Amino acid sequence: MNVLDPAFAASVLTATAPVVLAALGGLICSVSGVFNMALEGTLLWGAFVAVVASHLTGSAWWGVAAAVVAGVLYSAVLSVLTVTLRADAVVVAVGLNLLALGLTAFLMREILGVGGTYTSPDLRGLPTLAAALGRVPLLGPVLGPQSPLVPVAFALVVAAAWWLRRTRSGLRLRGAGQHPEAAASLGLRVAAYRHGAVMAAGALCGLAGAQLALGNVTLFSEGMSAGRGWVAVVAVMLGGVRPYRVAAACLLFGVAEALGFRLQGAGLPQQLADAAPYLITLVALVLAASAGRRRRAGGGVVIARKDRGGR
Amino acid sequence: MLHTRELAVLASAATVLSLSLAACGGGGSPSASGTAPSGKTIILITPNPVGTDSFLQLGVKGAEAAAKEIGASFKLYESKDPSSIAQNVDAAVRAKPTVVVGISFSFDDVFSTVPKQHADQRFLEIDSCPKAQPSNLTCVSFKEHEAAYLAGVEAGLLSKSGSLGVVAALDSPFIHRWIDPFFAGAKSVNPSSTGTPLYVGGSNPFSDPARAKSQAQTLIGRGADVVAAAASGGNPGVFEAAAAGGAKSFGVDVNQCALSPGNVIDNVIKHVDVAESAAIRDIAAGKAGGVKVYGLAEGGVGVNALDADVASSGCTVAASPEVIAKVKQVRDDIVAGRVTVADPLAG
Repeated sequence: MNVLDPAFAASVLTATAPVVLAALGGLICSVSGVFNMALEGTLLWGAFVAVVASHLTGSAWWGVAAAVVAGVLYSAVLSVLTVTLRADAVVVAVGLNLLALGLTAFLMREILGVGGTYTSPDLRGLPTLAAALGRVPLLGPVLGPQSPLVPVAFALVVAAAWWLRRTRSGLRLRGAGQHPEAAASLGLRVAAYRHGAVMAAGALCGLAGAQLALGNVTLFSEGMSAGRGWVAVVAVMLGGVRPYRVAAACLLFGVAEALGFRLQGAGLPQQLADAAPYLITLVALVLAASAGRRRRAGGGVVIARKDRGGR
Repeated sequence: MLHTRELAVLASAATVLSLSLAACGGGGSPSASGTAPSGKTIILITPNPVGTDSFLQLGVKGAEAAAKEIGASFKLYESKDPSSIAQNVDAAVRAKPTVVVGISFSFDDVFSTVPKQHADQRFLEIDSCPKAQPSNLTCVSFKEHEAAYLAGVEAGLLSKSGSLGVVAALDSPFIHRWIDPFFAGAKSVNPSSTGTPLYVGGSNPFSDPARAKSQAQTLIGRGADVVAAAASGGNPGVFEAAAAGGAKSFGVDVNQCALSPGNVIDNVIKHVDVAESAAIRDIAAGKAGGVKVYGLAEGGVGVNALDADVASSGCTVAASPEVIAKVKQVRDDIVAGRVTVADPLAG
């Protein structure tokens, strides 16, 4: 068992891609000052719409486009209820997560005519990069089996980091989150920025769902998000509002999952391999908390600056 | 402002409430079908919503067929979790049907106590039986390991590398019925063959095709050219990995060959519907109690290769008549007692 072979790296990227897309959505919401816990439901909804659209149009890319639009519309419910009507974001998110589970199961029977799992040899999945990269050393075996959305996911992390730090609208979004009253007094339309952030998260979750249902596999099964949206929520809590940290947290999960698979093959009991991602989360949370304490105890000026940039 | 806020809280609370009801379904929202001039009723309680599971779909089919035959009405109570199982059993007992049917091992606990409190009500448990079986509870169980052994024989004959794998939902004794006998069957025809199981696990082990696919890819990457699926809703993920990696697979419970044409050798079939409707008919005729075990001999389990219509099943085993002949011979040996398949549950 070689842990550092390209196939291992490929399986890490496959496992991470949907999570990192959803987490990026959660991060943008969190920057704008909205706690988005509905990632799981939106991801599942996106996966369902992607499969239905691909089934109806015969094109995976229409599936992706439909999933993005559907994700935005689904998130609009969260944004209207929480930003405009000031409902509790957690309560609405719980509702949206449950709705996605029930609604996709129901619509699956109505539209696709089956329950449980929908798959068909005619269902179009996303193409892989094998044709483009198959012969490139190192990159070929790692990225070759992936859909084009996988590199896009990681590119979006870089784009988000640049956007939040270097652009005017990024700065305003951070202002809306960190000090809404001050931002509003300077003429910033805080609500508009928050609406935008929640809907952007919807688009990203739609993309995540499309990658899960048309990239990782080519099928839809009830509840197939299987906690990936929750992992994304945890990644946002771990990484705060820093895109690279959130991406690193997602990658940690991907590594833990892929490593768990490998360790199972080497004789580790499945139950223990299952616990690996959660154990790693716990360890990471404890380490992050103690590192935070050390920083606070360290010295005033540095912390203040960091805190302004970060929280 | 306060007004809209209150409105919003109410609206979101109402949304959550209605959604959770819609999403759960079970716990007291039975769906009924048919009429019963005879006054007979059959109530089937499932441990999970039926949609996620071909096994439960067969259970519904069997109960519906039996209800039709004996002229009873049929009601389905879908449970969402262990506590709603108990509630559904209570509700079913209060309706005083001809028989209360519970499906899967999830009913072991409830059915070890509730039947004792309702001595004149008849109960039927499909696919399992509590250790202390009440006299008014009939049990139906299956020898899945016998069918898995036959699938293993096919795999052993058809594998070129001699390296086999199984992607299973969980590492539990019951699920090992699809794993250990499969490898044992392969070894019986190819002594040098080796088998590795990998488990889906995670937070949704019975419906996580992405993880199932990843596990199958790992097995194929290590040289397996036959990877059997025992991952329920994750099975199609295994078929995808097999198709992409040039390997072959096996399905479970029902004929899954059509899900991935050319990549599925055969299926480990369990005729839940046949066994269940036979048991319900017996109970309605007054023959209640005891454990009815359905193995190869009773036709309760099998593989598609044994069927007369294997050519139209879409399974790739149809192209290998010599394999089918061998499977039939091993089936006869098992039925005659010349070959005994070890039961992982008994060990």
